[in-house]
Order: sequence, then structure tokens, then C-alpha cells
Amino acid sequence: MRQAGTYSAILMGGIAGRTGPHSLPLARIKKIMKRSGDDVKMISGEAPIVFSKACELFIEELTQRAWMVTLQGKRRTLHKEDVAAAVMATDIFDFLIQMVSDSNGGQMAPAAKSDSMVVER
Amino acid sequence: MAGSGTGGDHANYGGSSDGNPAAAAGQCSVREQDRFMPIANVIRIMRKVLPTHAKISDDAKETIQECVSEYISFITSEANERCQREQRKTITAEDVLWAMSKLGFDDYIEPLSLYLQRYRELEGDHRGSIRGEPLPTIRHRSPNPSTDVVPFFPQPPPPSFVVPPPSGPSHLNHLYGDGAGGYYYGMYGGGDGSGASTSQDPPMPGFDHSYAPYKQ
Repeated sequence: MRQAGTYSAILMGGIAGRTGPHSLPLARIKKIMKRSGDDVKMISGEAPIVFSKACELFIEELTQRAWMVTLQGKRRTLHKEDVAAAVMATDIFDFLIQMVSDSNGGQMAPAAKSDSMVVER
Repeated sequence: MAGSGTGGDHANYGGSSDGNPAAAAGQCSVREQDRFMPIANVIRIMRKVLPTHAKISDDAKETIQECVSEYISFITSEANERCQREQRKTITAEDVLWAMSKLGFDDYIEPLSLYLQRYRELEGDHRGSIRGEPLPTIRHRSPNPSTDVVPFFPQPPPPSFVVPPPSGPSHLNHLYGDGAGGYYYGMYGGGDGSGASTSQDPPMPGFDHSYAPYKQ
């Protein structure tokens, strides 16, 4: 594929991770930013661009850390529990603890969680 | 389906003013899609750092997809608080970088700053030619504390990042792809040179108007 079309060029740039176009959709990022609070007003055009790269770094770091847990378990399939373990083991991912422990039905959470298997999201 | 099985509160999300005419049955799924990054993109990025033979369970993909949105919200909230404290209306790239640093993502700051600088230089070339004056780059401006908003560009980046390859215009294509630049570039009003944002200048009144179409 030597001559990339308009849209495949976006994808190729994103996949290759070079200086190509942003691999995450900027409009979507902006929507999520706006939803983070009722009082979010204006967002500069560059902020989603920073996020597109930051989310890439974030996904890479979380994935790598989770994969290390997978390897410790001598497995080849990365599971949600591996992601949860990576979150628990990484201070800067503390903001994710609630999200991953809810998904686990209290498996990772401290005693405050009920013993029922109801999965809350 | 992106974000499937993620719980009941999604269906009750209201107040979306994007005017999406989705049918009632499909409306929930549209909103769910809006909450997350496309899962294909997420998977693609995950695979970049995993060995070829690695498998990823569906629930791991969805979990990371949700974590990304949480990350964006987390950082944005902090950045927004700073804007409000400083009585500014617009969340800038520098606010985002500041929030990331404050919340512990220091390791991201340098690559993000370089990424942003490279983006600005390419953008600046466009706008410089339209306005007929050169746009100062971060390199030249960073020693000027009175106009610089950000402490994140303390020193010139390594030349390999800022010197465009001698291929000239094709370097722009690397950033935007053939004709793909218009897809994103135009979204921010950069095509006509009118107030595509930078954080190098104070927000201008006219600047805010260019985002009217994106207010939802």
C-alpha cells in the first residue's frame, strides 16, 4: 500500500506511531473532556491533541504493566484482572481503583465491599 | 460494541445536546460510543507494546477503554479547576500538561511537550503564510517569562524533533496524511487562519467563537 488514501493515511499514521495524524479521534476526546464536569466551558484546539498522545502513552503504560502481571501468571492472554492488578500496583493509577475493583465484584477491593457477587459499575 | 456490558447508568445519561437524531433504541448505544475511545484504536495501541503472540481478552479491552475515558476526565477536572481559580474560560494544552504533572504523570510531560511543539511548528507554518508573518516558535519564546504561560518548555528540544526533514512539504503529509490534514485541521478552524488556537497568546474574544460548532 504505497499510496495511502485520505482515511487510511490517518490510520496508517496512527498505527505507525510516527508523526502521523492523531491515532485517537479528537472530537471524541473533546466530548469526553466536556463530560468531565458541568462547568467545563471552552477547550482549546490543542488540548485534545495533547490528550490524543497522552492517552496513547497511558494505554501503552497500563497495557505493559498489565502484561507483566500476565507473564507472572505464566499466561499469554491479558485479562481484566491483570489490568486491575497493574492499577493496584501503580500509585498514579489510584484514580482507577474504583473502576477496576467494581468490575471485579469486590475481588480487589478492601473489606468495605459486600460479599455479594453483584457487579456494580 | 464499544463499552458493552458496562452498566446501567449509561442509559440514563441525559442532557446530551448534540442533537443526534438516533432512534430511541439506538440512542443509548450512541451515547455509549461517545463516552469511550473507539475500541479498535485502543486495541491497536495496546498491540504496539505487546508481543505478537499475546492475546487480549475482551473484558481487558473494555476495561482499558473505560480507563482511558476516566483518565481524560480525571486530568480535565484538575485542569478545569485551575482555569476556574485563575478565572480563565478556556482549558489550554498547558493546563492539561500542568494537570498531568500535578497528578503524577511527570513522565509524560516531556514527550507530550515535544509532540505539541512539533504540532505547533507545523501549524505555525500554515498560519504564518496566511497571515504573512512568521509565528514565533517555542524555542524562541521560552526565555521570555512574561509572555510564556508554561514552564514546560524550559529548554530547546533535541534537534531531531524540531528540524523538519529536508523533504519539505512531505513532512506536513507525515503529520496529516495526504489530504487528511483537512479532516482534523479544519475542525479547529485552522484552514482559514482564523483563530486556530495556540496557548502562546492570551485568549482572544474572537477565538472563542470558532468553537461554537463544537459546543454541545
